[in-house]
Amino acid sequence: MDKQLILPYCDLYAACLRDESRTVGHADSVSFPRSEDEVRQILHALHEAGTPVTVQGARTGLAAAAVPRGGHVMTTGGMDRVTGLRQENGRFYLTVQPGVVLLNLRKMIAKREFDTAGWSEASLTALEAFRTAPAHFFPTDPTETTAAIGGMTACNASGARSFRYGPVRPHITALRCVLADGQTVALRRGQHFAQGLHFSLPTAEGGTVEGDLPSYTMPRTKNASGYYVAPDMDLLDLFIGSDGTLGVLTELELALSPLPRISWGATVFLPDEEAACRYAEAVRSQVKCAAAIEYFDPGALDILRQRKAQGDVFATLPDLTVAGDGAAVFTELHCDHRKEAMAALATLGTLAEQCGGCADRSWVARTETENETLRHFRHAVPESVNSLIDQRKQAYPTITKKGSDMSVPDGRLLEVTDMYRRTLAEEGFQYASWGHIGNNHIHVNILPRDMDEHARAKELFRRWAAVVTQMGGAVSAEHGVGKLKAPFLTIMYGEAHIRQMRQLKRLFDPKMQLGRGNLFAVEDEA
Amino acid sequence: MRTIVCVKQVPASNEVRLDEKTNTIIRDGGEAVINPFDSHALEAALALKEQLGGTVAVLSMGIPAAAEMLRQCLARGADEALLLTDRAFAGADTLATSYALFQGVEQLGDFDLLLCGKMAVDGDTAQIGPELATRLGIPHVSDVFSLECSGDSVTVQRELGGCVQTLRLPLPAVLTVTRELNVPRLPSIAGVLRSETVEIPCRSAAQIGADEAQCGLKGSPTQVVATFLPQRTREVVELTDTAALLPIIKGGAGLGTGD
Amino acid sequence: MALVIDTSLCVGCGACVGGCPNGALALENGVAAVDENVCVLCGVCVQNCPVGAIDIPRETNAPDTTAQHRDVWVFAQRSEGLAEVSLELTGLARRLADSKGQSVTALLGGGTEDEAAQLIAAGADRVILGTQPALAQMLEAPYTDWICRLAAEYKPEILLFGATPFGRSLAPCVAARLQTGLTADCSVLDIDGETGLLRQTRPAFGGNLMATIVTPHHRPQMATVRPGVMPLPAADAARQGQIVTDDAAVAPGLVELLQEVRDGGGSALQKAEVIVSVGRGIGQRKNMKLAEELAAKLGGVMGVSRPLVEMGWATQDRQIGQTGTAVAPRLLIACGISGAIQHLAGIAGAKTVVAVNTDPNAPIFGAADYKVVADAAETLRALIDALE
Repeated sequence: MDKQLILPYCDLYAACLRDESRTVGHADSVSFPRSEDEVRQILHALHEAGTPVTVQGARTGLAAAAVPRGGHVMTTGGMDRVTGLRQENGRFYLTVQPGVVLLNLRKMIAKREFDTAGWSEASLTALEAFRTAPAHFFPTDPTETTAAIGGMTACNASGARSFRYGPVRPHITALRCVLADGQTVALRRGQHFAQGLHFSLPTAEGGTVEGDLPSYTMPRTKNASGYYVAPDMDLLDLFIGSDGTLGVLTELELALSPLPRISWGATVFLPDEEAACRYAEAVRSQVKCAAAIEYFDPGALDILRQRKAQGDVFATLPDLTVAGDGAAVFTELHCDHRKEAMAALATLGTLAEQCGGCADRSWVARTETENETLRHFRHAVPESVNSLIDQRKQAYPTITKKGSDMSVPDGRLLEVTDMYRRTLAEEGFQYASWGHIGNNHIHVNILPRDMDEHARAKELFRRWAAVVTQMGGAVSAEHGVGKLKAPFLTIMYGEAHIRQMRQLKRLFDPKMQLGRGNLFAVEDEA
Repeated sequence: MRTIVCVKQVPASNEVRLDEKTNTIIRDGGEAVINPFDSHALEAALALKEQLGGTVAVLSMGIPAAAEMLRQCLARGADEALLLTDRAFAGADTLATSYALFQGVEQLGDFDLLLCGKMAVDGDTAQIGPELATRLGIPHVSDVFSLECSGDSVTVQRELGGCVQTLRLPLPAVLTVTRELNVPRLPSIAGVLRSETVEIPCRSAAQIGADEAQCGLKGSPTQVVATFLPQRTREVVELTDTAALLPIIKGGAGLGTGD
Repeated sequence: MALVIDTSLCVGCGACVGGCPNGALALENGVAAVDENVCVLCGVCVQNCPVGAIDIPRETNAPDTTAQHRDVWVFAQRSEGLAEVSLELTGLARRLADSKGQSVTALLGGGTEDEAAQLIAAGADRVILGTQPALAQMLEAPYTDWICRLAAEYKPEILLFGATPFGRSLAPCVAARLQTGLTADCSVLDIDGETGLLRQTRPAFGGNLMATIVTPHHRPQMATVRPGVMPLPAADAARQGQIVTDDAAVAPGLVELLQEVRDGGGSALQKAEVIVSVGRGIGQRKNMKLAEELAAKLGGVMGVSRPLVEMGWATQDRQIGQTGTAVAPRLLIACGISGAIQHLAGIAGAKTVVAVNTDPNAPIFGAADYKVVADAAETLRALIDALE
């Protein structure tokens, strides 16, 4: 192989050692493949010695899945081409390399302009049709728009709109993946299924990967915790959300969805968290065109209020009146007819009044400018919390916010938020919560004031993981497990099932090279 | 307190590019929106209504579809709207626009304060407010970034490039406002639902007693005789790596080029 | 008045359709058709049509009194002494007047003989020195009254103002009173050789397009001119000119000046020697920190383009451009700024411009000395690392 593909690590590549979780790892060598063939060559070269390989997309993850613990780091960011378009039964499917960044993907789809160098005739014909078809979009909307599609697939990413459109999973219709030994599997939805929990998967090189799936039952809730397994499952789903532990994704096919003609937002204010939960549950059951239901707790609104008073960019946030605005719930409405949207808005007003809010004290966004104002508001919440933590870092350099990512099944929302509030009060923590209340998935962010609180926050999350598991919930609903949440996965599925997961991994990756430390703690791999 | 706010519908984007093949100009204005500066004028009016009571009327000259923009103003809390729409108004420059709006203001009756945005983002002329004030024969101040109103006079501040003036005007008066004045509110659910059923009054030139000779293209002293894309002015050197860039920025910043 | 499409000439190329800012044109049965409910007669399609099939016929209603008007006038604004733009305007007026064989008059309110002499040295043939106390303050009403009275008496053919905040507010008051046209923010002014009309060129559509405008039948032809665009004329102390003192009463108006506080004239951006500016191409809001970091390393400040202010990522005092601050640093590093001309107008004074953008055709490169086709955030990171 071309020796240039694997480069010894030096400080120039320091960025490859970290991700948005702000943890830092170490590595001996790095590579920046530009094609599937290069990925294959690199993996083949590293396989004999069994060198650990950590695969990275755009390093925007929050669970440290992309952070290497020695060995080799492979960054797929250079594989950033859109390679084709397919039309079938009126739907469009875009084939992309894993390094394509969400922001750019959205731009290309919205403008319907792609770099078509090397596209097949069929793809170019599909593009002609795409340009005259009604507008389309790719629905998954994680906050971090610089995320790479490969990384989003590896952790089965979600976003606010996952309430309506689900996580990345249903929007992936085919993928190619290079295994640790350099063999390739190509999967298309609907073609390769497990028989019960037994499976057999052919590789492009003529080999076969065969074995048994773990026997656990996944929670019936938003979930990005561990391998997706179910009897008779489509084997494509095994690779989505596998946290870079089974192979290196080299090509993905994305199903595009028709862009709804109307996209409106409405934020209502409610007296407290309990009222907000009741409102969110009512919206979930009564507003059919809700695409996202998002929550901001009193702590988050307080921090925003303080930041706004301090001026700077937060000064352009809309006014948050002090009295009576305990908590806020944002609902995004997606539909094709104005009448339907107006009716939904009226329902939101009625529900807000029923839950102690006020239809006159609410924010509606119907134009792009207004939607941008609400986006600004939603993004300002985590940003203001981060800037608060940055201030505390001056006294305690290693302090971080501790953010949870747990979800529970429908009907358990009031119970779990009550548990959060009670235990947080017992510990005396400062915290701010926000997130996907429509999916019963609220990120609680503890803002430790010192290192003792930092340690106690970690411990509290362990206790929560056990309670949430008992409720039938997931310990990581969208960020993926990575390295940081691996201990929670054990709490969720138990040691026996973790062993099954490890066995499954070994079928694809006999030397346990890929994504070491992701999903299962590294010491278990010896 | 009765405030009239003049608002204009503008394209959301001012993007322009040249089709190299046909040498024609291509524009994609996107959706039509309320001129952002006018949003701040409306917010100021609504805040005054909350503080002193009274009503807020919004006035626009535009195509029939501008009625929807006025409806959005009602959703935010304006009480009354009037749209001046007529082929006779088309092609108006600022003098003809201020004439039509002047006639529209007469239709709305007595008022205490007339507010405009500092300028429209598609025209950037900043002339409508002062021209309207001159036609109405009442005092005006442009580019106001702070505003206090007592009910019979208004005290404002403006920046005049190098100095800040504090000025007092008796009412009625005309003010044009900057973005710094306030943060525009979003409409409420109740406001949107209320506005949805309102009929927006539309008036033609004849209906408001306007002299057609002073309206639109006919009443506009200025004529556009050519439009073209701006020319590039500098010779540009393309650099392909940071190393080549470094001496330039070091030199530019007076840090020495390091070699 | 309406848009007239000559369907016998129209070839159905669609150039008018793509160029219409308001989406008023479409092809119907292979030829252009206009939706009169949407068309605002802006005239872009008339320019765009390659076969001359579109026209907006004009009828004029103005009694043509243009022949009675002559000479070029400038309003000489003061601001702690004569404003620089007043001299720029006088130099410009001189050139315009020379090409028409006319004279230049400068209007100086509340000024000194010495300032009048400066205007003469810059090209004025006559300075009318207004001595009424009301003209000592920068207020529109007394100036409107004064200028309109003089204009009615002397009938100038051209009347120019600096496009300063005060000039942009005063000029429309004068134009409305005189019932004439006014073109804002001109960057090029010249006399049409054929018609003798003042050709006034200004940015349109947020500066992405330039428009040339004339005022054929109304006088004076009025324009405001952007400060810093016209060259400062060399002072010619030998030039002769007349200083006329005018002490006739002016109506003071109803606006009362309570306080005037000098704020030093200029923000941190205006004074900066080095500016790192960022636009939408920076991608993520958090990447703005990189620009701040590089600026700090270079002893400069960070500026932004208008979209970032509109997105709430930065406050307006950071905004560079026609509606923000015009800057003149020694070094400007523009990162992820596409370069609407409105922004380019604000950076025309920069000595060295380095532009970084992923789009090799971004207009910013037309105003740059050095072009880097790359991701803004990555380039910033690389530069910061390299400087460490």
